[in-house]
Amino acid sequence: MLNIEEIFKILPQRFPFVMIDRILELEPKKKVVAIKNISYNEEFFGGHFPGKPIMPGVLIIEAMAQASIILFYESKDALKGKDMVYYLGGVKVRFFHPVIPGDQLKLVIEPLKILSNAAIVKAQAFVADKEVASGEMSFVAKEDAK
Amino acid sequence: MQDIDIEVRNIVAEIVEKSPEDIKPESRFVEDLGMDSMMALEILAAIEKKYKISIPEEKLAEFKTLNDTLNVVKENLCKKDNNA
Repeated sequence: MLNIEEIFKILPQRFPFVMIDRILELEPKKKVVAIKNISYNEEFFGGHFPGKPIMPGVLIIEAMAQASIILFYESKDALKGKDMVYYLGGVKVRFFHPVIPGDQLKLVIEPLKILSNAAIVKAQAFVADKEVASGEMSFVAKEDAK
Repeated sequence: MQDIDIEVRNIVAEIVEKSPEDIKPESRFVEDLGMDSMMALEILAAIEKKYKISIPEEKLAEFKTLNDTLNVVKENLCKKDNNA
């Protein structure tokens, strides 16, 4: 539904820190579903861990956060055309299964509360319909004053 | 204390990571408990979820102490009952 070029119009992150590849579903104020393809070529696999590649949990959180940015931005008409920076406030996430090369990570984000400049969301991550992580995160959005 | 007083105090305690006994009705969230705006948002979302109410964003500024928060919650619960 949104390809990578369209994602770049919303996300401030760039290489090597883009943790979503495509948006599959987008319902402003209700839900976003994003995917990230996990390849052995990911730089972090070189060290995490040598000979035993496992995607770091913090990067799954980052993928959840980036999908949340898309949901927040698309839920706010007032943000259109503005450059925003996003600050994570709090994260409560549990991990159930390791994510490894070849997996396709699916992020499902639903808002618990959206304010004018902040939000708290429920976030879930799946690989082939198996839940690999879930939790809640809160973040604040500020206009980039550059 | 009523049940709701205890429940809301427990929600606040969990989010500011203090024990419920340390939170007095008149403790100031920011000055005494070290709360920030993100924690206030988390408290708002937790309360909305628990009581199935919707608290408008403007009311967040009124969350200054446990007593203030309880007043907002009770006010909203009354409205919900009247509408039911």
